[in-house]
Amino acid sequence: MTEHLLSYIIFIPLLASLVVALLPKRLADSYRLIAIVALGLSLVLSVVGVSLFDSDVTGLTNSEASLQMIEKVEWFSINLGSLGRFSVDYFLGVDGLNVSMLLLAAIVLFIGAISSWNIKNKRKGYFSLYLLLSSSVLGCFVALDFFLFYLFFEFMLLPMYFLIGIWGGPRKEYAAIKFFLYTLVGSILILIVMIGLYNSVYDPIKTGAEAGIFESISSATSDQISEVQTQVKLGNVSSENIVKSFNMISMANEDNYLPDSFLSKSSAAQVFGQSARWMAFLALLIGFAIKLPAFPFHTWLPDAHVEAPTPISVVLAGILLKIGGYGMIRTAFSFFPDSAYHYSWLIGFFGMFSIIYGALNALAQKDIKKLIAYSSVSHMGFVLLGLAALTVEGVSGAIYQMFSHGLISATLFLVAGVLYDRTQNRLIENYGGLAHQLPKYTVVVSIAFFASLGLPGFSGFIGELMVFLGAFKSASFIGAIPMWMPVVATLGLVLSAGYYLWTLQRMFFGKYWVKDAARHDNLKDLTLREYLMFVPLIAMIIWFGIFPGTLLDLISNSVEGFTQLMVQAVK
Amino acid sequence: MIELKDLLAPNAFDPLIYWILALFAFPLLSFFTTGLLKDKASVWSSLLLGINTCISGYIAVTYWGEMGTSLKGTWFEIGGTVFNYSFLLDNAALIMLVIVNFISLLVHIFSAEYMRHDKAKPRYYAFLGLFTFSMLGIVLFHNLLFIFIFWELVGLSSYLLIGFWFEKKSASLAANKAFIMNRIGDLGFLTGLMILYTQFETLDLGAIEFMMGESQIEDGNWVVTYFSNGKEVIHVLDGRWLSAAGIALFCGAVGKSAQFPLQIWLPDAMEGPTPVSALIHAATMVAAGVFMLSRVFVLLDAQALEVIAIVGAITALMAAVAALSQFDIKKVLAYSTVSQLGYMVLAMGVGAYDAGLFHLFTHAFFKAGLFLSAGIIIHQLHGLESEGVKFNTQDMRVMGGLKQHLPITFACFVICSLSLAGLPGFSGFLSKEAILINTHAWSVEKGGGYYLIELMAFATVILTAFYIMRAVMLVFTGKFRLPELTGVSDIAGKLKEGNRTLLIPVVILALLSLSFAFGSTFDAETSWLHKAVETPSGAMVPTKYAAVGQAEMLESAGADHIWLAVVSIGLALAGIIAALLIYKPGAKLAEAFDSKREPVSPLVQVSFYHWYQDVLYTKVILKFILTQSKMLAWFDEKILDGCVNLLARTQVVVAHLTGMFDRYIIDGFVHLTAFTSGKVGQLTRSIQTGNVQTYILSAIAMLIMLLLWFAF
Repeated sequence: MTEHLLSYIIFIPLLASLVVALLPKRLADSYRLIAIVALGLSLVLSVVGVSLFDSDVTGLTNSEASLQMIEKVEWFSINLGSLGRFSVDYFLGVDGLNVSMLLLAAIVLFIGAISSWNIKNKRKGYFSLYLLLSSSVLGCFVALDFFLFYLFFEFMLLPMYFLIGIWGGPRKEYAAIKFFLYTLVGSILILIVMIGLYNSVYDPIKTGAEAGIFESISSATSDQISEVQTQVKLGNVSSENIVKSFNMISMANEDNYLPDSFLSKSSAAQVFGQSARWMAFLALLIGFAIKLPAFPFHTWLPDAHVEAPTPISVVLAGILLKIGGYGMIRTAFSFFPDSAYHYSWLIGFFGMFSIIYGALNALAQKDIKKLIAYSSVSHMGFVLLGLAALTVEGVSGAIYQMFSHGLISATLFLVAGVLYDRTQNRLIENYGGLAHQLPKYTVVVSIAFFASLGLPGFSGFIGELMVFLGAFKSASFIGAIPMWMPVVATLGLVLSAGYYLWTLQRMFFGKYWVKDAARHDNLKDLTLREYLMFVPLIAMIIWFGIFPGTLLDLISNSVEGFTQLMVQAVK
Repeated sequence: MIELKDLLAPNAFDPLIYWILALFAFPLLSFFTTGLLKDKASVWSSLLLGINTCISGYIAVTYWGEMGTSLKGTWFEIGGTVFNYSFLLDNAALIMLVIVNFISLLVHIFSAEYMRHDKAKPRYYAFLGLFTFSMLGIVLFHNLLFIFIFWELVGLSSYLLIGFWFEKKSASLAANKAFIMNRIGDLGFLTGLMILYTQFETLDLGAIEFMMGESQIEDGNWVVTYFSNGKEVIHVLDGRWLSAAGIALFCGAVGKSAQFPLQIWLPDAMEGPTPVSALIHAATMVAAGVFMLSRVFVLLDAQALEVIAIVGAITALMAAVAALSQFDIKKVLAYSTVSQLGYMVLAMGVGAYDAGLFHLFTHAFFKAGLFLSAGIIIHQLHGLESEGVKFNTQDMRVMGGLKQHLPITFACFVICSLSLAGLPGFSGFLSKEAILINTHAWSVEKGGGYYLIELMAFATVILTAFYIMRAVMLVFTGKFRLPELTGVSDIAGKLKEGNRTLLIPVVILALLSLSFAFGSTFDAETSWLHKAVETPSGAMVPTKYAAVGQAEMLESAGADHIWLAVVSIGLALAGIIAALLIYKPGAKLAEAFDSKREPVSPLVQVSFYHWYQDVLYTKVILKFILTQSKMLAWFDEKILDGCVNLLARTQVVVAHLTGMFDRYIIDGFVHLTAFTSGKVGQLTRSIQTGNVQTYILSAIAMLIMLLLWFAF
């Protein structure tokens, strides 16, 4: 059971998606149950996975020894004659960099399924697409073969496109196409680098077996692997025997790059007059920055959020954005640590800028969903700032921030959805004094807002604190970003307090007033189903705010391995 | 050299932790459970707080000592760095512990009557519980990160309590203002944390105090060397970061303790219920900033201290001026609080750590007493309101002559006022005297323009005495102005003294404003409370950083003690007498007071509008930020997104063009080809007649041509 745990987590929703698609229309009421059960199963298995995860495993994140729950089989390989072999693995595994993301994905997708309960039209399509989306999101976080990762990554687009485009709001087509095209541009950048990497990286184990340095793949020892690497470096292995690889863990190890290949560290190759490695790093960075999103690639986000139905907004903000951050950590930073260091100033600056820019934009919004969307831009800026710091605190903070933002933004979009469900209107100016009419809802909103503005006691604070400490330390520790950046970025905290408290004051305090009196009758306080979503989310937000060790223990060894990679590259 | 791990090592189990947990648990229990109760909320949460006060009293007696007892443990670890928690129970913490619990208890009891008719009473008590919980965190923890965490939570409970009557727009706006002003200060606090963490790899105050002793300034660099996980590390920062750290942490205090330039939230915070003002915005929370400064005192170098002293003096004077002309009795007290907090901060700045803390303690009692007395007045006046008769119960213009109606309140108010004014025999005299002496010694030591600071401190003495006496005269003497203003003549008869629930807390606080409560009548040095905090456990500024040696300073101060006391008593008396003369019943200003409106004279306006600071913030700074945000939103929507849309549209246009190219040129070419081949086909078909003779003829002709071609 446990050896294929990750596969189960990914494929249960996929199977459920097929089941939903094949069930006849008269069983339409069971679709949502199937979705909830399937994602509930995935969630349980993810929790099992996290509890089995051994947080004592140490090591650099470019060695497979630091991975756990590995599933690795050759998917297909093609002999390209003198160009060597082309091999793609079905390679899954977790380490500290993705285990928290897997857990978050399972949580948010499950909550999203509950919040899809009230979807009325075209239920078959909706739930099978939702399950398909879930499967590819989960796959994306555990896939460690770049080809497989890319497959999952691209496969997310299709269901997302339809989910926004069919079940969305008034401008759904525009939003869906915008989302699709934006992400596609990012995907193309990633694809280009992927091809470049494939040309440069080989799999030492398979190559060794091919070249006859050792008997079979399973018998390879680490000495033999380094023997292969030396032989390849010396050019003693003929090019037919070289097995090209998409292994993301190998890609992070510079020993696995073919000598003088396009993207190897010694390569003199240039693209647009710059080092090819720098350009490849930038391409990956931008590809994932679109997903994150960071200024100036964020303009798809407000539209997609505003038009998407509530559960899709929840998934979008809660999980999809995190693929951007995770992708940067796993690919751009890991593969090209030297370039990461080279561009750290720029990354840090854009992080800092996103924090303030997003917050200022949020301050000006009239639609509460748009406000939350811009606050996401602001909060994702912390991820960039923390990553750019290249310190343990900074990177842990970035991951923590992603995890916590996943929970908090899910809560925020559910909160906005509650109001929209009742009145079909999200404009802040149309409401006043809602606290009188909806006291329980007001409590939930206040908790969500305070959690999002980084109040201690909630998970958001830990992430932001770590990012600040790590970013400030960076200058004297590794010299990646200057000290003024985190100091300036603290302004984001005041601005976020500003827009949230102002919204609370305008919508919830004062005299009770609703612009369209007809909507008054619909304004009922929270229902049981809504409590089912809010209570666990808020409980987790508070838990991870008070016991950060729960998550940090899982990730800290891998983060240390990751930052050591950076330090080695700088030296 | 020191190993960091050893400094942070958790202690062996100490049962004290149970007591500390209990201290946190009871207020928290109050927070979670009172919401479920209705009318019993006040009794229940007062009971819980009563237990807490007993526990704190017990702990204070048990652990009273010079060095303090500390407890440490690990919160979480990240990459070999330990984030620990630690508690320190030294005398200052123990006194604060008792004061916070005790005043909170009095306020709980007082509120039972004050909030009796409020439907949201359970919510009120829940928030009070949350506040007490958070405040105890600041007092007990000895780790800057935890102090910061509870610091923010205190800000939250203050926000919730200021905005308690949320249907009033002014209340929720005031709550926002308080939270945001505090947040601005907290940015500084956070920056301070970043600097300290980078240098020391920990935020534990005990460890930082120790390592500050080890650290040096070398060639303008701030250097500290220690072992971290067995490896020697040398951390070097520019020396200015040390000053920056001190000033940054002070920024936190500027927000919380309402110092210039962030102090404008405190007068607005008076929108909250009056008992809340007494507890949070006078006695405890606002003092947290001063308490925090005393905790980080070891980090404050000469530059930082100078900034602190100057800010404190400016705040003290500005607020005292503002208190001169207010109509609202709570506003007078609020500005007075700001001004007194300025004194405390000034004391910290001039290096008189103990005097600052001492003033914090005495101020907590007399100011809480003043606020609760005002609360009685407001509550009793509120009882006079009816459907037809509405008036502002906090406006001194409707008061006057209340001495006859509320004699006990009057007595308590006067005692607390005299303590505030600083007359001998009252507690305020002792602590204010200590501050003035130290300020004087500091000015003498620094010389030059620094005498201005001393001047400001002394000017505040006379202003303080004047404004509080003005309030006493306007509220309690002369004739009751309300009947005339409302036109209901028998209204005065209905005004009664508050009941026992209201009076007991006030009387207790008034008694604690007398100097004998602190064991001394004239010399602060001989007071037990002052002695208790005199020698901070290793918290002295290392002399290498402080420009002024504190020992020498105190020595020089001793010589001037007597005449300084005489001057300050003289100033206070002058202020009191001036107020008595100007506002005595029958005097011109007192008689005309009920018809007074907002001032027109620019000088009085400066006082009334608190130096126009609020106007500057809302009209200039806030407006600027909002305009910026609107502009950016426009930029985002029109320019940035416009570019994206333009790009997309260009794509569509290009696609149409290629479409046209495809249809007319490429496809046209295909059509042309088809057309041509069709024509050619027709042409060739015309040759194929089906006539055998023609075929033979053409075949022969071809053959001949072939032969001819081969032949040549």
